[in-house]
Amino acid sequence: MDSLGLGSFGIITIISFFMGAVITLQTASNIDSALIPAYTVGFTARQSIILEFSPTIIALILAGKVGSNITSEIGLMRVTEQIDALEIMGINSASFLIVPKIIAAVLINPFLVIWSMFIGIYGGYLVATFSGAITPEAYIYGVQFDFDFFSVNYALIKTVFFAFIITSLPAFFGYTVKGGALEVGKASTQGVVASSIVILIVNYLITQVLLI
Amino acid sequence: MIELQHICKSFGDHQVLDDISVRYERGKTNLIIGASGSGKSVLTKCTVGLIEPDSGSVVYDGKDFTLMNLNERKAVRKEIGMLFQGGALFDSMTVAENVKFPLQMHSQMSEEEMMHRVNECLQRVDLVNANDKFPAEISGGMQKRVGIARAISLEPKYLFCDEPNSGLDPATSVLIDNLIQEITYENQITTVVITHDMNSVMEIGDKVLFIYQGRKAWEGSRDNIFNTDSKELADLVFASDLMKQIRTENRK
Repeated sequence: MDSLGLGSFGIITIISFFMGAVITLQTASNIDSALIPAYTVGFTARQSIILEFSPTIIALILAGKVGSNITSEIGLMRVTEQIDALEIMGINSASFLIVPKIIAAVLINPFLVIWSMFIGIYGGYLVATFSGAITPEAYIYGVQFDFDFFSVNYALIKTVFFAFIITSLPAFFGYTVKGGALEVGKASTQGVVASSIVILIVNYLITQVLLI
Repeated sequence: MIELQHICKSFGDHQVLDDISVRYERGKTNLIIGASGSGKSVLTKCTVGLIEPDSGSVVYDGKDFTLMNLNERKAVRKEIGMLFQGGALFDSMTVAENVKFPLQMHSQMSEEEMMHRVNECLQRVDLVNANDKFPAEISGGMQKRVGIARAISLEPKYLFCDEPNSGLDPATSVLIDNLIQEITYENQITTVVITHDMNSVMEIGDKVLFIYQGRKAWEGSRDNIFNTDSKELADLVFASDLMKQIRTENRK
């Protein structure tokens, strides 16, 4: 659980903070009409962060960080006969190695995403406060404006699917690797690319089903 | 006792094993020798079920392994210990945890009993004060010994060793050979050793199976290997000048 989720706590905090800050600045700089209220910046930042940035972008980042780690780890176990050793001991190596990783990611990733949402929105608040782009009050009003809790549920549902993809696909590529270090490296790349593409496709499908 | 009957295995068009039948005796070190690529490892992997043979059967003490379902195979595998060529120790675990792992999976022992057994196995392979080290922190010879300790921790009935001496210095090789033989005799294990090391053949070869191009080319013991008529076996075993001299002396 540490390597799959808690170990990514730092990078998720940093990325979420700056992404929230940048979304706020960009939205503020692009809204240049007196007809659009200032709180729209907070509203847009909240929607972007909760609906898309925190669940999807964080999943893509984790697919790179955690996915490559899983493929390399399991792939190396395969080429150094550690998986054969498990089989000889009468242990179902696939269940033993892969299932706990999937369960851990499915359990821990929603917490990471909720944390990312808070940090992203807080990053936007600090930028609003210190840059003078909008007033903090307008930002907070925008963040609270027309809030539908379903958007959080939608993000968490996506996160559970993404957590499964981030762990199962790289694990598959690692488990089925044949050869040596070169093949493990290739499998690691394939695992990250495949899981990233599948995340984007599943993101589209879930959005179509839940929001449209 | 393990009996292989007419084992055949092909990968694509390439036939790796061609009708191999052999009986590995209980309480003896059964050696498989042959040139690289002759099919020794594939034969062993077929024996333990890591590779399915195309035809033939593998019989463990009267029970046909090839006809067993998954649960029955698991039960047999709990009685198998295997030392892999590279050790195959779990990188993320310490030496003690590696040896303890099979006990955790398959025994009902308490933590105290498991640690007692772990220390017993590590002492048996002459490894002391290495419990807390990780595999990457110990030498190749020590890794092999940890591999043996792990393989014997559950007191297996069958022990497989894939090139236990590869990459080791001569003194450590002799140590490992003697250890395997002692364990085999003490516990009356059916031991199968794949080796390229002719010193091992002469030291511990109670029974020797020679595979040439996927076929059983010769079967005997270390005592009658000097008098073999098999040209292929002689070319392999007596390839070095030293071994030729030993054969000449032996025949006088």
